[in-house]
Amino acid sequence: MIPVSHFLALGAVLFAIGVLGVVIRRNAIIVLMSIELMLNAANLTLLAFGRARHDAHFHALAFLVIAVAAAEAAVGLAIVVGIFRNRHAANLDELTLMKR
Amino acid sequence: MNALGFDTAQLGLAAPLCIVSIGGLVLLMLEAFSRERGPRTHLAALTLVVLGLAALAFVRSWSAPPQAIFHSMLVVDRFSTFIGLLILVGAGLAVGLAGGFMREQRFEFGEFYALVLLATSGMLTLVQAADLVSLFIGLETMSLAVYVLTGSWRRNAKSSEAAMKYFLVGAFASALLIYGIALVYGVGGSTNLAAIGALETPEISDPVFLIGALFIFIALAFKIAAVPFHMWAPDAYEGAPTPVTAFMAATVKAAGFGALLRLVATAFARPELTLGSNGWVPLVSILAIATMTLGNVAALRQESVKRLLAYSSIAHAGYLLVGVAALGLIGPEARGPILYYLAAYTLTTVGSFGIVAWYGTHGDERHSLDDWAGLATAHPAGALAMTLLLLSLGGIPPTAGFFGKFYLFKVALGSPALLPLILVAVANSLISVFYYLRVVTAMYFREELRPVTVVRSTGMTVTLWIATFGTLALGLFPGWLVDLATQASLFVK
Repeated sequence: MIPVSHFLALGAVLFAIGVLGVVIRRNAIIVLMSIELMLNAANLTLLAFGRARHDAHFHALAFLVIAVAAAEAAVGLAIVVGIFRNRHAANLDELTLMKR
Repeated sequence: MNALGFDTAQLGLAAPLCIVSIGGLVLLMLEAFSRERGPRTHLAALTLVVLGLAALAFVRSWSAPPQAIFHSMLVVDRFSTFIGLLILVGAGLAVGLAGGFMREQRFEFGEFYALVLLATSGMLTLVQAADLVSLFIGLETMSLAVYVLTGSWRRNAKSSEAAMKYFLVGAFASALLIYGIALVYGVGGSTNLAAIGALETPEISDPVFLIGALFIFIALAFKIAAVPFHMWAPDAYEGAPTPVTAFMAATVKAAGFGALLRLVATAFARPELTLGSNGWVPLVSILAIATMTLGNVAALRQESVKRLLAYSSIAHAGYLLVGVAALGLIGPEARGPILYYLAAYTLTTVGSFGIVAWYGTHGDERHSLDDWAGLATAHPAGALAMTLLLLSLGGIPPTAGFFGKFYLFKVALGSPALLPLILVAVANSLISVFYYLRVVTAMYFREELRPVTVVRSTGMTVTLWIATFGTLALGLFPGWLVDLATQASLFVK
């Protein structure tokens, strides 16, 4: 059986990859995907802890996170579509109307 | 008891939250099935009724003893009631501003009112949260609605851009929050704030637990726009339709501080947690100094009044963080001034952004400082109101902002260790007066470059008068609110 610590480590690595993606990628869609990856890393961590502690509450919380992630993706994609209609761009470096 | 496992009488205590969320859903459906394409005056009126009913329910629960409801998911106490009322006031004022603004700028966004109510329900959940799960749900409900509000002016490129930036940073912050919650829950074995606060070593000295706690703090720091987690705020505040800016600058910050204050009083109250012998105080102090200084220095060189106010609102989060640091050294008495400051800040912020919304007409929003030249000649009352609100933001008597700062610093002086922090805060207030006065001098001492035009709307005028008189009244007669804030500060569970 794979020990729980392996899942926790995988969760941490996925989370770090997600953070890196948010920080270095400039395409809005990719950044959105990286954020989803962070949420799923949190889910994996929750489930691993749930197995270690034999506690189903962790699983319930993971379901909540999935629901929230879906709502977030819906709003996020709508915002990307909105900005694409206005500006024909999904690159974050081009969003500089308010820079000074 | 019933099938849900809790006493149905608890629904009565959760009445404000229920009223606001059901109201939000009803308004959403009314808008979805209506053919109205013009001004939605009836929806605005209905929103104000819903907010008023929720406020009444809050006032009724003021005398109830503090108690946890719904399996300790939420807690109803005077602290959450106080901030909840502030949020309702902020939302009501923003609704008052929105109708006139949307009609003038020709974007009728009927969902505005439903989204304000849904965001408000998230904020109320956030300040009443007694559990990390309800904290997360509240934060998400609030944020998702506010992202949509920010981008609601679909033809305006700035509004979409602001929504994009706000969304990406906000979603990043919520991912940090849920990962932090997963770590804290995994190590501590509970999501209940009080249960986490009762944990002993080895759990609370576990580095994984500390990292989780830190992530939760950082997520809240993003929401209250504390430096260095503030980069979204100036753009989001500048790009959002101005009534939405007024709404989110005032209420999102109040709700974020509500959650932060409860966290540091319950789950993470242990001095052993995080850095050094004073617990999280050094960390919060550094955050406070950075937030005040950067907010004020950046505001100095702004040419847009709206962006200037955005930076000023970041600086105000810094002053409030001074209060949070004081909370760690002095104890619950420091919570009263923070609550009073939040009340003053809510009124003043909605008022000042409201005047920005009121100034200018269709296709010609007057944001640049040059555009404000000569407002005093054309609109003496508007210029006077703006001056008063700016004085309040700068902390000059006889306004609410002055008393808020005075009270906060006076209580914080109770601990000598905080003296340097307070000196920095006072120096920052002086810097801030300089850029507020730039706007005042433009209004009073410069000739107008272009004819002054303003939005003509009764709702807006009434709202602005309420905010301005409220700011003045709180400054002249602060006693009753100080009493309420003190009562609210002693009942945190």
